[in-house]
Amino acid sequence: MDDAGVFAALADPTRWRVLSLLAERGDGTATTLAGELPVSRVAVIKHLAVLDRAGLVESRRRGREVLYTVRPERLDATARWMAGLASEWDARLAAIKRMAEAE
Amino acid sequence: MAPDQIQRETMIAAPVERVWTLLTEAEHIGTWFGDAGAEIDLRPGGALVLRWAEHGTVHGEVVAVEPPRRFAYRWAASTAQGDAELVAGNSTLVEFTLAPESDGTRLRVVESGFATLDVPEAERVSKVEGNTEGWAQELGHLRDHAERVTA
Repeated sequence: MDDAGVFAALADPTRWRVLSLLAERGDGTATTLAGELPVSRVAVIKHLAVLDRAGLVESRRRGREVLYTVRPERLDATARWMAGLASEWDARLAAIKRMAEAE
Repeated sequence: MAPDQIQRETMIAAPVERVWTLLTEAEHIGTWFGDAGAEIDLRPGGALVLRWAEHGTVHGEVVAVEPPRRFAYRWAASTAQGDAELVAGNSTLVEFTLAPESDGTRLRVVESGFATLDVPEAERVSKVEGNTEGWAQELGHLRDHAERVTA
């Protein structure tokens, strides 16, 4: 799956809050999430749809509601990718430091 | 701090002018960055070319040149496979700031714009693991949370 949507999905502050709440609570529905955020239930549903398309959450029906949970593996992959880029920068900065302090 | 960026810094026991030279001159960039040489047209809009013997060429464009304090460019490194041309959706912004501190230089780099990248995940997860902070750390916390509560 092309996860171009992962970064875009996470870059929106409200979606980040939605995902954080799901991670903290374990699960949630559009109604429970909207109760804790300054946005409407309809807006939460739209954010959940974006997170779902990016592979960051999964859903299942519970009665008349849809229950959402976080998919940690996708976050894990993205976190490892970012960590790799950061360590590459550490190596480059260390090289500059060695060169600058060599004389 | 915006979530989609990497920020790293180091203290260097050398004057800002010396660090600036190492950061911005092609002969030096070609050693701490690529391993097969570099070219740079050091002015906003100027071309940046970084070469690796095994990974090919990465193209960039200089964004800001404010000696000896700030140097910024866009590049396609995070998405590069072979020879990469700089196009929308494949580049991030890299910004260096140099600050004199006691008898040295604090060198900071911020790479941002990952939210607009359009790359397959395989390229991302193929990178090495390392120590980091900021977004990667936040993602890690979130993941830990999620794993604890769903376990």
